[in-house]
Amino acid sequence: MIGPATLAAMVVPVGVPVGVLVVLAAYTPVAGLSYNTLVVLAGVAAVGFAAGLTGTLAVLRKRPLAGDAAAHATLLGVGGMFLATGRRDLPTLLAGALVAAVAALLVLVFLRRFTRTRDDAATAIVIGVSFGAGLAVVAGITARGLPGSGGLAQFLLGHTAALTARDAVVLTAASLAAVALLAAGFKEAVMVAFDADFARAAGWPVGLIDAAVVTLVAVMVVVGLPAAGAVLVTALVVIPPVAARQWTDRVGTMFLLAGTIGLAAAVAGVAASTLRPGLATGPLVVLSAAAICAVSVVFAPRRGWLGRRWREATLAGRWARGRLLEECLALADGGGGAFDSRLVRDRAGGDTAAARRRLRRAWDGLVWQAAVQPAAGGLWMLSSAGLAEARERHRRIAAWRAVLDAGLEGARDRFSLDLPPPDDPPATGAQSGSAPAAFPAGGGGP
Amino acid sequence: MTPPGGCWLVADAGLALHGWSMATVAVVAASCGLVGSLLVVRRMSLLGDAIAHAVLPGIVVGVLVGGRLGGPLVFAGAVAAALLTVWLTRTLHAAVGLAEDAGAGVVFTTLFAAGVVLVTLVAARVDLDPECVLFGVLELAAFDLVSVAGIAVPRAFLSAAAVLAAVAVLLGATWRWQVFTAFDPAAARAAGLPVTTVTTLLLTAVAAATVTGFEAVGAVLVVAMLVVPAATAELLVHRMHQVAAVAVGVAVAAGCLGWLAAWAANTSAAGMIAVVLGAIYAAAVVFAPTDGLVARAARAASLAWRVAREDWLARIWRAEEAAGQAAAGAGGVPRPRPRSVLERAAAAWLRLTGRVSDRRGTVRLSAAGAREAETVVRSHRLWEAWLGRHAELPIDHLHPPAEWVEHHLGAAMRERIESEMAAGEVDPHGREIPPEMPSPGGGPPSGSSR
Repeated sequence: MIGPATLAAMVVPVGVPVGVLVVLAAYTPVAGLSYNTLVVLAGVAAVGFAAGLTGTLAVLRKRPLAGDAAAHATLLGVGGMFLATGRRDLPTLLAGALVAAVAALLVLVFLRRFTRTRDDAATAIVIGVSFGAGLAVVAGITARGLPGSGGLAQFLLGHTAALTARDAVVLTAASLAAVALLAAGFKEAVMVAFDADFARAAGWPVGLIDAAVVTLVAVMVVVGLPAAGAVLVTALVVIPPVAARQWTDRVGTMFLLAGTIGLAAAVAGVAASTLRPGLATGPLVVLSAAAICAVSVVFAPRRGWLGRRWREATLAGRWARGRLLEECLALADGGGGAFDSRLVRDRAGGDTAAARRRLRRAWDGLVWQAAVQPAAGGLWMLSSAGLAEARERHRRIAAWRAVLDAGLEGARDRFSLDLPPPDDPPATGAQSGSAPAAFPAGGGGP
Repeated sequence: MTPPGGCWLVADAGLALHGWSMATVAVVAASCGLVGSLLVVRRMSLLGDAIAHAVLPGIVVGVLVGGRLGGPLVFAGAVAAALLTVWLTRTLHAAVGLAEDAGAGVVFTTLFAAGVVLVTLVAARVDLDPECVLFGVLELAAFDLVSVAGIAVPRAFLSAAAVLAAVAVLLGATWRWQVFTAFDPAAARAAGLPVTTVTTLLLTAVAAATVTGFEAVGAVLVVAMLVVPAATAELLVHRMHQVAAVAVGVAVAAGCLGWLAAWAANTSAAGMIAVVLGAIYAAAVVFAPTDGLVARAARAASLAWRVAREDWLARIWRAEEAAGQAAAGAGGVPRPRPRSVLERAAAAWLRLTGRVSDRRGTVRLSAAGAREAETVVRSHRLWEAWLGRHAELPIDHLHPPAEWVEHHLGAAMRERIESEMAAGEVDPHGREIPPEMPSPGGGPPSGSSR
């Protein structure tokens, strides 16, 4: 399913900007930003991209908050690793965080499998208890004033200012590795996300694939720690896919879009956090992602809120227009007669105020388009165009009634409907008029 | 960003202050445990998580307007933020079809982030620190005292007690509705209950408990206080009012123990409370009387042990039956080969208790052993006969189910099957069905209802 082209499409958005920035930064300080800042920015961008991609998988698999449990456990891993090794360089601490994240997910699996505790409660328990344990460890370390313990709290809310260029390279490498892993198992992961039962029936190791996906999410959560912090890193995994989903119905597009949104949010958040000293990075990254998500949810053409409302309104308008024309035709005695506009609207129905409003607006539309014309005595009559539209609508309704009543075969003959030929040619003539089994609704009718 | 001591640590204060702090924790824990039990039963635990995070901006705005932490404005702001979270999640679900957990994930991270940024921006004007928000200000609560009838009482204790009273009255008054709605919302609606109002009431109570919890243990750990005691109680007891009571007890105990542990280890009280909660939950997972791992393993082991014993007796009985008179002459039958370690142990046990005598590879059932074996074989053959008559199975398919059912068929069931059969009828393989043994005292081994 995934060819070299798709793979390139996944890696290029990270690789190219990172490469360009690193090369540029190595020789010429750009726009007053230091080499260090640029490298960190590039690293965080890579993290955002990879988190968006990975998160898409988690959201499609309907486990958006599994990452949250892993994320909250990382604090325990960071504190424990510091306590065990006494070192506070980023790779060491992140290794501890990864161990804790995977352990949290294993506990989650154990609780789901061997206790009566339900999924949501198990997730909440892992979140609360692991975070509390991490907090106790970190607070204990801080209270004892152990050397070099000052920076541990930066993992809570994210603090990119403390990153060195080397750290950023580590993050970039980890992100690229995650993307490559995802690309390698893309087909399997997507298959399981869409139809786990089918995958199982087809003989795929669903449990193994699920475990790989969850591990990938845990890795991404850990890699995202310096950018967003333990409390909010889950947003990096959840928000970009949700935003991307609004724009597309294609899986590949959704992945790339989510990655791009994650990248943009991460860069915007880091940039914003440099505006004022003391601003944590995580919340700003999350707010950037949330802004993109809000725009997507409202304005995305097909799934967005506005689009849905527009389609609903259009549909409701067509309903109202059709009802009015139907009543006009009925009151006009099949064509030339005149009728009262109020009577038409009353008979067209409208149980609610909204429906009545819609009918009034549809009537205005009919007048505007000259489908109805004024007649003598304040009455109205159908114009030739309106009459044609009303008759066509009447014909369609009658045809559909006939379909429900007598089945497709009968309706075809009576209304010369444009239907595909039946599957079974010999039956056409003989069974014309009787109801096929596919339409039981009208079968027992009068 | 790390304050060296700040709001994290147990202040080294006098015993009276510790007493007040523990009392505050206990009261907060009680209200969290109470609302948490309903939340968990309704499968809304993650909503508790979301609310616990999302109240932050409401609290910040409340502090900004009201000028200090605590007080009705902060409370109102937090409740508004909690209800906003729920509303936004449901709206995302209804408007663009977003799954509720993904929607909650989007909403609560966004609101929490907005709260943190707001705190940072107004930090100069307000005495509020993002880390105090995360971890609570329990340690300092004991220093903010007000005088009530001449006694200096922490303000946090008073507000927590007020919230506990309000939550208890609110939920107590609507308890039956709450339980009905929790277990079957559709039936509750059909029965004419105001389900939406009942749910809103619960969510308001959750928000209230969360806000007081936030002051004590911080935004994130409120999740633990809401969910862990209730989940523990669900493992221990199976009636809703018992779940609520046990949850409250677990929460209060964990609060006090956690506070003491934090004092002893000189670390964050909120963190230690969560750790103690986790330990209690883990203990319940392992040792709960019926649902615990130990109890379930013991049940499985005792069943396997009984099956192994009964199988061994039945094998010898069948061997003796096949040998007929020859067995009586030889003083027994050759010892069958044990099919598992468990059966070997069962054989040794039965020999030790005198049900089977074993003389140099020749085994023989004692009277008691034969009685038990006959019950098993009788169950087996009766079940084969019943299956042969009713299930229309081929004759070679009758044995496996009977091999399983023979250990579970009670005396009453055996009698009912026998009543269908003609006198002297044999099983489908043509073998005689042993008569029912009189059960002296404890009854036959397979006569239990399990």
